[in-house]
Amino acid sequence: MKDHLNENEFNINEYIRLDQMPHFLCPGCGHGIALRALLWAVHQLGIDKDKLAIVSGIGCSGRLSAYVDANTYHTTHGRPLAYATGLALARPDLNVIVISGDGDCLAIGGNHLIHACRRNLNMTCMMLNNEIYGMTGGQVSPTTSGDRYTTTTPAGNTEPVFDACALATAAGASFVGREVTMQIIALRDMFKKALVHNGFSFVEVISDCTEIYGRKNDLGASPEMMMSQKSTMRPFAYRNTVDVPFRPNAMKTGVLTEVDRPEYGNAYREMTAGLRGEKGGT
Amino acid sequence: MSEVATPKNVLIVGVGGQGVIMVSKVLAQLCQNNGYEVKQSEVHGMAKRGGGVFSHVRFGPKVWSPTIPEGEADVLVALEWAEGLRWINYLKPGSGTFIADCQRIVPPFACRNRGRGAEATYAPQTPEEIIEQVHAGFAIDATTMATNLGNLRAANTVLLGALSTALDFPEEDWLESISMFVPPASIEINREAFFEGRAWAMESDKRVDETAAGLHKAHTDIHNVDIDTVVEITEEWCKGCDICVKMCPERCLRMNDQLIAELALPDLCTGCRMCEWLCPDFAIKITNTPVTPPALEPAE
Amino acid sequence: MSERRNLQGNQACALGAIKAGCRFFAGYPITPSSEVAEAMARELPKVGGTFIQMEDEIASMGAVVGASMGGVKSMTATSGPGFSLKQENLGYACGAEVPCVIVNVMRGGPSTGMPTRPSQGDIMQARWGTHGDHAIIVLAPASVAEAYSETIRAVNMSERLRVPVVVLLDEVIGHLVETVDLDDVPEGAEVWRKWAEGPAEHFEPYAVTEDMVPPMPYPGDGYRTHTTGLTHSPSGFPTQNPALAEAAVMRTTDKLVHHRKEIESYRTQDVEDADFLIVAVGISARAARQSVRDLRSQGIKAGLFRPVTLWPFPEEALRETVKTSGAKTVIVPEMNQGQLVLEVERLLAGQVAIERINRIDGEAITPDDISAKAREVAS
Repeated sequence: MKDHLNENEFNINEYIRLDQMPHFLCPGCGHGIALRALLWAVHQLGIDKDKLAIVSGIGCSGRLSAYVDANTYHTTHGRPLAYATGLALARPDLNVIVISGDGDCLAIGGNHLIHACRRNLNMTCMMLNNEIYGMTGGQVSPTTSGDRYTTTTPAGNTEPVFDACALATAAGASFVGREVTMQIIALRDMFKKALVHNGFSFVEVISDCTEIYGRKNDLGASPEMMMSQKSTMRPFAYRNTVDVPFRPNAMKTGVLTEVDRPEYGNAYREMTAGLRGEKGGT
Repeated sequence: MSEVATPKNVLIVGVGGQGVIMVSKVLAQLCQNNGYEVKQSEVHGMAKRGGGVFSHVRFGPKVWSPTIPEGEADVLVALEWAEGLRWINYLKPGSGTFIADCQRIVPPFACRNRGRGAEATYAPQTPEEIIEQVHAGFAIDATTMATNLGNLRAANTVLLGALSTALDFPEEDWLESISMFVPPASIEINREAFFEGRAWAMESDKRVDETAAGLHKAHTDIHNVDIDTVVEITEEWCKGCDICVKMCPERCLRMNDQLIAELALPDLCTGCRMCEWLCPDFAIKITNTPVTPPALEPAE
Repeated sequence: MSERRNLQGNQACALGAIKAGCRFFAGYPITPSSEVAEAMARELPKVGGTFIQMEDEIASMGAVVGASMGGVKSMTATSGPGFSLKQENLGYACGAEVPCVIVNVMRGGPSTGMPTRPSQGDIMQARWGTHGDHAIIVLAPASVAEAYSETIRAVNMSERLRVPVVVLLDEVIGHLVETVDLDDVPEGAEVWRKWAEGPAEHFEPYAVTEDMVPPMPYPGDGYRTHTTGLTHSPSGFPTQNPALAEAAVMRTTDKLVHHRKEIESYRTQDVEDADFLIVAVGISARAARQSVRDLRSQGIKAGLFRPVTLWPFPEEALRETVKTSGAKTVIVPEMNQGQLVLEVERLLAGQVAIERINRIDGEAITPDDISAKAREVAS
């Protein structure tokens, strides 16, 4: 009989650096849940920790790499995708995962994101979206919802929200998905799909910044924020359901894009095969 | 086929994801192809949460209302057993036909007691008892039939086969309509499924599949495993965010005076792991161990 | 038999890097350095390497550091504005001690400046471009052959010492075509960084070793270390402990002091009895060479001191040269408002008269410019 009791057992301690724990994130920060889902997927896929490379940028999200027991690289602000591009091209044998945030990935690193999507090099990018620059004390980010208070929008935010998944899809990403932390099993399964996807995969995780964003905007503590995220989502599989007219702004979750396109690294090596073995040149 | 003077009412019910809408579309198309006016109305959208889905199909020379009043359904097709029971009062007393798959999908609201070993609060009547009460009825194990044919997804077509014995349309019209709504590659298997269901229901006005009781038993076995749960909380890692306390379905955790999570009511804990999964600080570890019942002493 | 080829300075950089084992190049088109990328795009695949044109200058520097952290020798090339953009990730390579080579072909500035005209305006940017105290090596070739051999030396030094090395060309050397002997390799065998060996448990990626260059873990070898741009302790993890923070910065800068002898390189010409010592790099040094000959033929004893390793500046060698020659005047010709001269003044102020020759008009300094200055001082 199938082991129904322990099919969902996962000992995260085998995948984190115990000497670095407890991690530095604020109480209730959703980033920890997202990291569990990611490492759980790594575990279920049987990815070798020695062949796992985690590349992160700057900010709360950037610090996550330090807690993973793998080859971890905490790079510069907005640039983890650039570093990861070099790493993945130079070492196709590594499983490269990028951990980025909404500011890191969409603002300062926006150019790298759209070109990573377009290029389709084999790697997975987890973008943790908590709608705020948390590390620097709560400034407005490209994903801050309308009217919200931040330290740089004291009268409320007036800028439109950046839809990261729509951007990634438009830029040509071959795998795009979004999930809330509350749906950790769905999130884990999405990471499993993303990690085996041959090409660039982009997963946006709706995370919560309780201590700064939630507090300043009266969004409740982390359980309330997580529940409200879950209640505003609309699984993509139900995109045509009858409540669409009543919830026009519902957040699409699930795998939003999944297409088969040539992987950049393989395509490059194939295209340049003709150049090898030739004599002379220049 | 013979003329239908007043509208015929077919109610199709099930759980999200089973294919209630597909079945009703096949039927609606079939009726339309045979020159009837058809009205179909449906409620769905709760699918991901295991919620019920139902669809009213009414057809006749002229149909005014899109919905079927209670006690007016000529046929009730249930893709899931409990959903069939929930709607059974919509069936016309004395002339209605009840067609239900024995498949059981326990909805969340049936799990009122989530304690260890607790039984799901789920239709206590046996299929025999239910079929006994209706004018004509079939408790058909369509899921197993379809699985044996090689495609679980064809279970709905088995039910359509059974339904075809209650409505007077030519066989080829049914098949044509079905082939419009199933993937081209599976037309053949759906054709077989249709004939299997039709032949099974042709035999009599009332019939109960002998495997029905067995399915119910297998489910109970899984549900009743007795387990021993150990909750370990790494106090040094806990930051007191309250997520585990608020998210625990049994409310068996609490914050102690140091704002560290602790298991307050271990007897209520079902070992569901929700707290472990959602702890952002990796501070909770759940271990579930099945408790082996003591071996029975052989009778002397 | 040696392989002699007519090459452009930029192409020589590319071939030199490949000769030294460089197998990854990420770049972005910019005048006057694009030929480095073009040559790399053609040549790297032939040796199993990878070329990529990234979305911007920042990304290309990031990719180069990323590839090098993956254990592959990596290089990029750029010019003024691009070099400015690269400084952020160049700083990361300095802080995390990731070997890499950056070719910077200097053009007129500031800003877009004069993209097709030569300049030596990045002498200070190459040294101090990225923020904070950091160690960096800058090499300044003055011929195409030297562009080839110095790029080889750049790759090798960056590997051996785990430090970014800038190859600073000016537009003239970058686009100059000269004959190069491709087999004239100064150091012979390819040099690799010291790889981590031994047990992975308790391995410290930034441990203090005798030569001050910590062995680098190869991803996949089981060390699973953390690399960060934050100030880190020997464990590789961030620290704010004052003693550890100071030690971390001190080690990277002391490292170059410790290895000063192998890093420093300079050339001299007619310095034994020089009254006038010209200190110059790149194309200005070539003008100075002619000027020395011209002045000598006119009876003025001139000599040339040319740092090949621009940073760290060969300061002992310059002081010694001035002392032994007995030069009374040092002339510093450079194609900027005076950058190299600042270092010369730091070393020699009060001991000799220091004269500047500066051109910022997009034209190279001529031998006559230098000779005229010497004659003016002599009279």
